[in-house]
Order: sequence, then structure tokens, then C-alpha cells
Amino acid sequence: MSSSDLTGPARTNREFWDRQADRYQLEHTEFISRDEPHWGTWQLPDSELGILGELSGLDVLELGCGAGQFGIVLAQKGARVVGLDNSERQLEHARRNVEAAGVEMELHHGSAESLPFEDGSFDLVVADHGANRFADPYLWVPESARVLRYRGVLAFSGGTAFEVVCLNDETDTWDAMLHRPYFGLHKRVFDDEDGIVVEFELGYGDWIRLFRRSGFVVEALVEVQPPEGAISTYRSEEETEWARRWPMEQIWKVRKL
Amino acid sequence: MGPPLADGADLEGPEAVTLSEHAQTNREVWAKNAAEFREPGKRNWAQPEITWGIWHLPESEIGALPVLEGKDVVELGCGTAYISSWLARRGANVVGVDLSPEQLATARELQAEHGIEFSVIEASAEDVPLPAASFDLVVSEYGASIWADPYLWIPEAARLLRPGGELVFLTNGLILELAWLVESEHVGETLVYDYFGFHRLEDPQDGSIVFQLPYGEWIRLFRANGLEVEDLIELQPPEGADSGRWDFVTNEWARKWPSEEIWKARKPA
Repeated sequence: MSSSDLTGPARTNREFWDRQADRYQLEHTEFISRDEPHWGTWQLPDSELGILGELSGLDVLELGCGAGQFGIVLAQKGARVVGLDNSERQLEHARRNVEAAGVEMELHHGSAESLPFEDGSFDLVVADHGANRFADPYLWVPESARVLRYRGVLAFSGGTAFEVVCLNDETDTWDAMLHRPYFGLHKRVFDDEDGIVVEFELGYGDWIRLFRRSGFVVEALVEVQPPEGAISTYRSEEETEWARRWPMEQIWKVRKL
Repeated sequence: MGPPLADGADLEGPEAVTLSEHAQTNREVWAKNAAEFREPGKRNWAQPEITWGIWHLPESEIGALPVLEGKDVVELGCGTAYISSWLARRGANVVGVDLSPEQLATARELQAEHGIEFSVIEASAEDVPLPAASFDLVVSEYGASIWADPYLWIPEAARLLRPGGELVFLTNGLILELAWLVESEHVGETLVYDYFGFHRLEDPQDGSIVFQLPYGEWIRLFRANGLEVEDLIELQPPEGADSGRWDFVTNEWARKWPSEEIWKARKPA
């Protein structure tokens, strides 16, 4: 997809991730490269969270696959995985990782807000702090519904409304204060040392209505509580402590009917 | 009324009411509180419109309820039964359930005053003496949805519903509950309680026990009882809206964070 076809946020985020990709991979790739499926910023095993189940033979689409670490494991479990990412630089890392892993994983450059796939092409659409964080849910959720087959599953991990509401902009960390309104959550623009990036998160009711409107039945909302002392290359010890009290990460699992 | 208890006890009369410990406590609290709920009950009975919660948000705008005409409805924790009265006036066959005989006395008085008759049963929503699969709608507003244990009353609600029936209930906002300052009985702008494991909160002033769950836990509980999530409507009052005597939350607060939320779930047909 050429840059001119992207929404404003998708264009901004493409530039952000093209700039950011090398440094991101240097910082996190070791932590997120796994033999078994793991989710999120604390890399909790899917075997404990119980989201994915049997993967063998499934057609899987990963939205915002980055350097492919999540999708590669699914491919190793027997799924036919297609990875989509909005950043060409991230996909360069992904091509290297896919080749090194010796698996088949088809890679596409594009935005999850407008998917280059036929209706009903996949059994499972996944994202792990991927497009769900950086694309507009009012666009990518209906698109996911469209490309899923009947009874197909959408499962994605991302931030939470609490993470948005309780972020203290002045200290750039989380505390117990309600710093920002809950109503109207949708898009936030950050302008920090890495440049401008646009992130999305919705309130609980807005997510549920969006799923229902898009033809999904809600199966689970797994609110991730990291175990005591959980390690992360994304979160400081203080942040992990906060996340043991209030939800900083959650996984939605919904099914197309 | 209803099926006999396993031990053969008669369900009529208060001696048959089986209560959990917290329900017993809440029943005692309501015995004391009932008097001050007479006037609000009277006002609500006299109100023609269906409204939700302390901000009186009109159902015509919220759209939480299904068509009521001819439906069998049970209200869990009906109190003075103003919700039931509104639904009865719209053609529903209503049964009100409450564990407080004092509240039900007010309900009966207002029934007579308004000439609107429907059954009211003294029982806890955690153990309802009514047959399974006999209602199209289970509703609760400032009732069981707040003062009964969801792990007990949600299975009861699911049991009472017919296939295709709906559960609609209003609770305190989860954020409001987490930011509740027990000393001053007001909501603040700081999370006082942890989210994970949140379940019950005891009011040190009157000893009443209220319940609320994390969002994911509600969903898990619905699903475990065969209910599908239909909606979660987080109520935001209009600017300047007045909550009347309920001053534990300001309009300014409730414009930013949900002070009340309505869950809708359905038993698949």
C-alpha cells in the first residue's frame, strides 16, 4: 500500500516505525523470541493464558507482525501464517528472522486499517501489541471481521483504559491517580524523543459495542496480571508493580458468528 | 409459590428465606434504611418515564431494555419496586424480588396507591424461589446488582431466563468503586483499591456489603453461566445534570469517569 493511501495516523506510524525498527529490535528481540507462543510485555505463556489453543492447519493473519517473532512460533506450531506490517523496515527484520527460523511465513507491507485480503480468508487473526495499538480500531476491527471465516477468532493483546487514564504525563509513569477522563478514549498522539506516534485504546463498553457491531461474540477478556517479579524489556520494575494492582495489559478474544 | 425446597419447607413467609451471611447483614441494613427510601420510592413511582440510575437518564435515550409488552420480567432486588412499576405499566408481567420486608411493605403500599398490582416476593437474589426458564427479562437497578454476590446471583439470573431471554442490570461504575473513599462516602480521583481480585466492599458506616467485579471477570462469569455479552453501557450524565440527594459523586466526576454502568447479556435461543 502506497503511503498516499494511508490514513493520517497510519502514515505517521509508518514513519515512526521505520525510524524506530532497528533500535526496537536491538532492545527487545531476544526477550520476545520464543519456542512457544507468549503474549505481551511480560511474555506470559499462552499455555497459561489459554487463548490460542490448537494452531495446526489454521490460516492465521498477524496484524502488525513487526519482526515476526510471534508469527514464527505460530508457524512452527503448524499454522499457515501471513504477517502484515505497516513498516517496511520492520519487515526487513522479519524476512531475516523467518529465513533464520526456516519456516514459511508470508509477509505483506500495509495497514491493518485496509487489509489486502479476500473476505473469509483466515481462521484466526492475531495481534500482540501490534496493529491493535497503532491502527484505528473502528477501521481494523471491521476489517478483521471481514477477512475471518465463520467461527473464526480474533485475539489480540494491548493496553487498557486504565493504562491510559492513570498515566502521569509529568512523571511519564503510572500512579493511582485518575489523570485523564475515561469517556472519549480513542486516539492519543505522543511526541517524544522517538518522534510522533499515534496510539489507540477504547473503553470497555466501546470495545464490546465495536465487536458486536462487527459481527463478533465476546469470548474472553483476559486481564493480564504479571506474576511478582516478572521481567520485561518493556516495563520497569515500578511499572510491573503498578500492573500487579491495576490492568496495564489485556487480551480480547472474540469469535465471528 | 414456586417449587418446594429440598427439605420440604414451605416457601411462603420469611422463615423460608435462605440468606448468605452478607445477605443477612444487608437485610438488617435495609431494615434501617427502608424509611428514608420511602420518599424517593414514591417519587419514582409517580414518574411516568423509565430512567436509569442517580442521574435519571431516560431509557428512551439509553435503549437498554427490550420490548416489554407481554414479557415475563423478574426484578432482583426491587426495593420499593419502582422499576417493576414502570415495566408493569408498559405491559410486562412483573415479579419483584427483595430480601427486605420493610422495602416490600413500601412497594405494596405504592402498588395500592397507584392501582398497579404485581407479585413481590421476599427472597434473596442469590437464591430465588421461582422456577427455572420462566422469564424473558431479568432486570436489576441499585438492587441485587450491587448488594448481592455476583457469583451467586448471576447463576440465579441465568437459571431464571428462558432461552433468548435477557439480563439487564445497572451497577456502580467499577472505577467509582475503586476510587471510593469509605471515610467520607465520596468518590475521589485516586484508585484506593486494587483492581485484581476486587469483589466486595464493606461500608464501615452502616455495615452494608456491596459487590463489583473486574470487567474480564464479569465476562467470564456470564459465559460460565451460558450468557452472551450484549453490551456494556457506561452512563455519562449530561453537563449540569443533578443527582439530587445522591451526593457521593459530582457531575464533574461523572462526566469524566463512569459512575454507573449497565451490563446486558443474553441467554442464547
